[in-house]
Amino acid sequence: MDRVNPRNVLVVVAAVAGCVAPFVMGDLTFLMRMLLAAIVVTGLSLLMGYAGQASLGQGAFVAVGAVTVAVGTTRWGLPPLLVLVAAPIVAGAFAALVGVPLLRLRGHYLAFGTLALLLMVQTAMSTLDFLGGAFGISGIPAFGVGGSVFTDQRPYVLLALGLLALVLFVTHRIVDSRFGRGIRALAGSETAAESAGVPVMRGKLVIFALSAMYAGLAGGLSAFFTPYVSPDSFPALESFTYVIMAVVGGLGTLWGGVVGAVLVSTLLQVLNLVSSQPQLPPTLGPILQYATYGGLLVVALLFMPGGIVPTVQSAAARAVSRRGGAGRT
Amino acid sequence: MLTIDRVSRSFGGVYANRDVTLTVAEGEVRGIIGPNGAGKSTLFNLVAGHIRAESGTISLAGRRIDRLPAHARARQGVGIVFQGARVFPGMSLLANVMVGAHAHTRAGVVAAALRPPSQRREERAIRAQAEDCLSRVGLLDWASRPAEGLPLGQQRRLQVARALAGLPRVLLLDEPASGLRAAERQELAELIGELRRDGTTILLVEHDVGLVTSLAERITVLDLGRVIADGTPSEVTSDPAVIKAYLGTGASHAADR
Ligand SMILES: Nc1ncnc2c1ncn2[C@@H]1O[C@H](COP(=O)(O)OP(=O)(O)O)[C@@H](O)[C@H]1O
Ligand SMILES: [Mg+2]
Repeated sequence: MDRVNPRNVLVVVAAVAGCVAPFVMGDLTFLMRMLLAAIVVTGLSLLMGYAGQASLGQGAFVAVGAVTVAVGTTRWGLPPLLVLVAAPIVAGAFAALVGVPLLRLRGHYLAFGTLALLLMVQTAMSTLDFLGGAFGISGIPAFGVGGSVFTDQRPYVLLALGLLALVLFVTHRIVDSRFGRGIRALAGSETAAESAGVPVMRGKLVIFALSAMYAGLAGGLSAFFTPYVSPDSFPALESFTYVIMAVVGGLGTLWGGVVGAVLVSTLLQVLNLVSSQPQLPPTLGPILQYATYGGLLVVALLFMPGGIVPTVQSAAARAVSRRGGAGRT
Repeated sequence: MLTIDRVSRSFGGVYANRDVTLTVAEGEVRGIIGPNGAGKSTLFNLVAGHIRAESGTISLAGRRIDRLPAHARARQGVGIVFQGARVFPGMSLLANVMVGAHAHTRAGVVAAALRPPSQRREERAIRAQAEDCLSRVGLLDWASRPAEGLPLGQQRRLQVARALAGLPRVLLLDEPASGLRAAERQELAELIGELRRDGTTILLVEHDVGLVTSLAERITVLDLGRVIADGTPSEVTSDPAVIKAYLGTGASHAADR
């Protein structure tokens, strides 16, 4: 179990790259957003890949986490650490509540139901002054614990990196457990899972709430980082992007969310740089972005229906077995 | 062990089960036969909790189970092998069978994340038990294979292993031999015979009358949702009503194979 395998090497390389990047890059906004997306998408991949439940509105829970931080710090003056811990809890509780009716929906209906939830959260944020109204909530204080306060971007990135590692660790443990087997089973057949003793509805609720907790955690951290929260901070397009990242990376794999988030974020960033050249028309950016989404999905579904991580894994397994000579196909 | 008392259930005004009464003793193998559409699978779904009875009661070991959701009935000891192949895709054979142990284990999502010693102990016990169940159905050598590519006969045996992992007090087998080749059918009959020797209480729905009569002490015959006969294999197969409703066509049907 503890022998060196290529995947562990990759993980170490990724971790080192992640830790070095904050010290060599100039503006860390892009890196931060990528890490936050990776946290959200890891939860989404758990929900979609393992439990087989779709969500087009994961941004709703990101928003709940962000609003928790914004309201907690600016309106109630609560300590930053407390509200950052509260953000995933509030988002998870919210998901558990709305999940009771929502998760009775299946497939496309569930996808649209979660999208409607996002629109409802946006509407609530823009109409209720307590949640910021149309102008949003600004003046969120910097994050800090005790006397030390985050004064620049770097500690945020390091904190996000640590939290991403925590989220991956927890996800890994949950998937490989009695509870995780029940979740994977219900994705295959709810009837058979029920008869094996799996409480299907409760299992779906728990995994929905867990994915919302990850989203809420990312949202809470983003509120400190930005530090401004408004209804426009969580466009539906961003929630679609999470789904694309999850699919491209590989649903139902531990690392799929991270790989998808890194790849899609980077691609969008490059396109952004290209299309913002002064001699090009300003409409090029959005066009390229949408074209990329479409192209990515088509390419992923055509050539790597399982996503990048499973495709690379099986290719690596084939290479290893060829090299080892123990020809098992 | 299992008492089904005047249970009825209709679909769109047509009774799929009507006043079905059935008592199965501990350690008994009860055969259930009847033409297609007689209501055999409906009866199993009523017992397992996938559909609710409109009237009547169902008790297991003296305890009413008819109001419980399906997963709670599994905890009470109802195990089922469905008519269609319902293995869990994307999971190994071992993981499939480990899911079956849900019925008598506890650890939840928090224990999964924190992994206290009790969770680790339970996890080891689940694995050992699942391996034992796989070996009982002769699939242990395939434990790490994915479940979905399996031939039909092995998918059936995998489902039996999964149900056994739940430590069922009564095991419902819905046409376990249908679609199997002669050799697979023979293996399955031997497996059920072994379960019977181990004292497992079994309800067996099967079209192959020869298979049922060789395994079951008593046979219940359903037709159009009603029990039309109940007795030893020789009593039932000589009953004129049964011959008229089922065996006349069923026997020649079975002989075709
Ligand atoms: N879920 C359902 N909805 C509607 N009708 C059903 C349903 N399940 C069973 N039936 C009907 O009930 C009758 C009995 O079906 P079933 O129990 O599957 O029979 P068997 O297993 O004996 O072949 C059939 O007429 C069938 O069409
Ligand atoms: Mg049937």
